[in-house]
Amino acid sequence: MATKSPEPVIGDGSLHVGDRVVYPNQGICRITGVETKQIAGQNWEVVTLSREEDGATVMVPKGKVMGIGLRKVADVAAIDRVFDELSTPNTDPQLDWKVRHRENADRMTGGGLFGTVEVLKGLHALSRVRPLPQKERELYDNARHLLVGEIAAAMNIPLHVAEDNLDYALWPPEGMKRKGRPLPPAMLGPPSPARVVTGDDDDLGLDDEELGTAVAAPVPGAAAPAEPEEEESDEEEEKPVPAPAARKPPEKQKPKAAHRHEAAAPKKQKPSHPPAKKSAPPKKAAAKKPAAKHPAKKAAPAKRPAAKASAKGKR
Amino acid sequence: MIRLVTLSEFPPDVIDFVSRRLHAAYGMGSELEGEGELPRAAFDDEQSAYDAVKAVEEMDDDVALYADDKILYLTSEPLTAPEGPMGRGPVDGYAQYGGGKAIVTSHGLSDKGVPLDVGLAKRAAHYVGHLWDLHHCFDPRCVMHPGWSPGFAAYPEVALCLFDREKSERKIKLGSS
Repeated sequence: MATKSPEPVIGDGSLHVGDRVVYPNQGICRITGVETKQIAGQNWEVVTLSREEDGATVMVPKGKVMGIGLRKVADVAAIDRVFDELSTPNTDPQLDWKVRHRENADRMTGGGLFGTVEVLKGLHALSRVRPLPQKERELYDNARHLLVGEIAAAMNIPLHVAEDNLDYALWPPEGMKRKGRPLPPAMLGPPSPARVVTGDDDDLGLDDEELGTAVAAPVPGAAAPAEPEEEESDEEEEKPVPAPAARKPPEKQKPKAAHRHEAAAPKKQKPSHPPAKKSAPPKKAAAKKPAAKHPAKKAAPAKRPAAKASAKGKR
Repeated sequence: MIRLVTLSEFPPDVIDFVSRRLHAAYGMGSELEGEGELPRAAFDDEQSAYDAVKAVEEMDDDVALYADDKILYLTSEPLTAPEGPMGRGPVDGYAQYGGGKAIVTSHGLSDKGVPLDVGLAKRAAHYVGHLWDLHHCFDPRCVMHPGWSPGFAAYPEVALCLFDREKSERKIKLGSS
């Protein structure tokens, strides 16, 4: 049984029905009302929110609205400061996983805009040093998702444009400037250890299902870096660990191994790898060089595919 | 099903390659649906390029979509996007996050020294990834890595990293149910 109150006061009075708010770890929501719900024989006054992303309903006890970190969507000035912050490179990622985990968890549950920025920036900087463990990879994606949603909501731009702009700050393209100051162009970071393998049409006899499997399959020995954080020792965290998968970079990448960790990768990881049997698939795949198989196609724009005429009829 | 609609002339083998790569990356069927034209209203005179957002929204087509179908428009025209907090940067496509339509251009691939088929397939896979709610990835070998990064030209494989692969699979499974 639910009853609606006419003019509710939400939190400290700064929030109103219809406002767009940010719910920590959930994203952008809209306050749809305040209702009294009977739960376990007790009457609870709850603020109902509708998550914009998927329309899910979230109910928060009215007394806890401020405590959980519910806040209004940031304004344009705050977003501008976010981009100032993002475009300042973080060259000193937290390497102690315990400290990093605690700090990031606090920032995410706090729900603050700049806390999310710090999480993203810190993990981004760490990813330039070494691949992220699975949990932190998820956290990185989550922080990115929340930030992109809030930037898009605050600036009233499409999500895709918001994410591109976010990455113009994190990975500045050539010639990108921030308030007149040129940003250093992005350098190539270490590849992820979860090496994916592409098949080649010709070699697989056009068996698309097999091809799909081949793409999905990680290198058997490469799962190790995604190990749970608990297994990482403090000693290991003292110094940056190089990217294991960088052991087989493409040949033309070698000059860019200016990234010191890429260059150091093979030494660190070779001993931990299983014997040759397991490491064979990536070598095979790398030798295929699918890109080199179509050098002439670029220069030969031909007439449209025959299938198009019939396809047009379908439309 | 990923339905490809060409808005410019592309060699058949390039379209075939893109189709196969998309199928390999997402495990979904991919086929050439037909051809169309970029809406003139989407042309931005100031930028001498088509506004990607407008182009997708105002595209006049009658491609039939079912359930989780996605449409991918392929063009060779230059694209631009609305100015954001960082100003204007390189734009090689646009996708409606979690939506059904995306557009990709092959413009600028020759400047990067990437073959047309590989470059277009990588961009296509990238924007289809956005349609499945995938975000940009820091792994330079993943197709979800930003297209302006040096990783785009350095790694010609059209492949997702394990994280993005699993995430897209989860989304696709949920979508089909």
